[in-house]
Amino acid sequence: MKLLQVVRAAAIVAGLALIAAPALAEGPEIAQVKTAAGAVSVLRDGKSAAVKPGDFLYEKDVLQTGADGSVGITFTDDSVLSLGANSEAALAQYAFDSSNFKGSMLTDLRKGTASMVSGDIARSSPSAMKVRTPTATLGVRGTSFAIEVGQ
Amino acid sequence: MTMRWIAALLVAAALGACSTPQRQALFVVLPNPDGSAGSVTVDSGSSSVVLDKAYAASEVRGGTAAPVALDAAQVQQVFGPTIAARPILPAHFRLYFISDSDVLTPASQIQYRDVFADIKRRPVYQVTVIGHTDTLGDKTYNQQLSLSRAKAIRERLVKDGLTGQSISVAGRGELDLAVKTGDQVSEPRNRRVEITVQ
Repeated sequence: MKLLQVVRAAAIVAGLALIAAPALAEGPEIAQVKTAAGAVSVLRDGKSAAVKPGDFLYEKDVLQTGADGSVGITFTDDSVLSLGANSEAALAQYAFDSSNFKGSMLTDLRKGTASMVSGDIARSSPSAMKVRTPTATLGVRGTSFAIEVGQ
Repeated sequence: MTMRWIAALLVAAALGACSTPQRQALFVVLPNPDGSAGSVTVDSGSSSVVLDKAYAASEVRGGTAAPVALDAAQVQQVFGPTIAARPILPAHFRLYFISDSDVLTPASQIQYRDVFADIKRRPVYQVTVIGHTDTLGDKTYNQQLSLSRAKAIRERLVKDGLTGQSISVAGRGELDLAVKTGDQVSEPRNRRVEITVQ
């Protein structure tokens, strides 16, 4: 009986932990949300959650903004990404070694508008920073740029 | 005569085909904060365009990338709110120390205020402080000293009101010299912390 109670209590605690925990983030933090206005959410492991300044982002996260939304994030390599309204971008691939500044990153802009300023990855490894859109792929070499993807 | 008509029709058809497809994507290089511009290569499979100066732009229509003229006002019209959502760009600082100590030089004491002000103006910040030493003295001792320098800066920032949780520290000892020297060389420019503010 006592054992059963303990098991039940443990099950409840485990269940609560599951409910309370945000979608499971895998791997290291790759970016931090710095600005967010209007409706902004992150899709992680199939679950969508609202995003606010200070939140950390992980590889494979998908950022989405609503009709009144915009968001700005800074990656660990100093790259900066911002999205306008009705936009969706997946942080598809990201790797950065802060000891030698090398790495690679691929951002998928699926719709909407984005602006980026490249950081250490593009500086230390030409062609290591890529942005993919439905119709074209961008290779970035040390610059600031903007993209609009049609609906 | 007939040939000429056919040629004219073909040209008209080609022009029609070019102007009809909707714009699928627009890419534009923006000036860097320092005024320079890097480059972006737009590869749409069938074609590739290199954009290598400020406001150089390309659009994709019918799956083909081609250059397009765009000025600052048009960029503002399409991307204004997007660019406005950009975070404050990361900043980098170096502060220097008195030999064999975690005390800043007088000049760096003054520059510390710029570092603090830069962090303070950011609504959300992540700060990395990496300590370094010159090659004078023992390597293991210098490893400790470099970490002490980084920690001293974090302590100061926290004392001035910043959140310690958002400030990470590390010590690199003699491993990453700013100025290459031999062993046992006193070099003020190597006695430093490098601060990244995001």
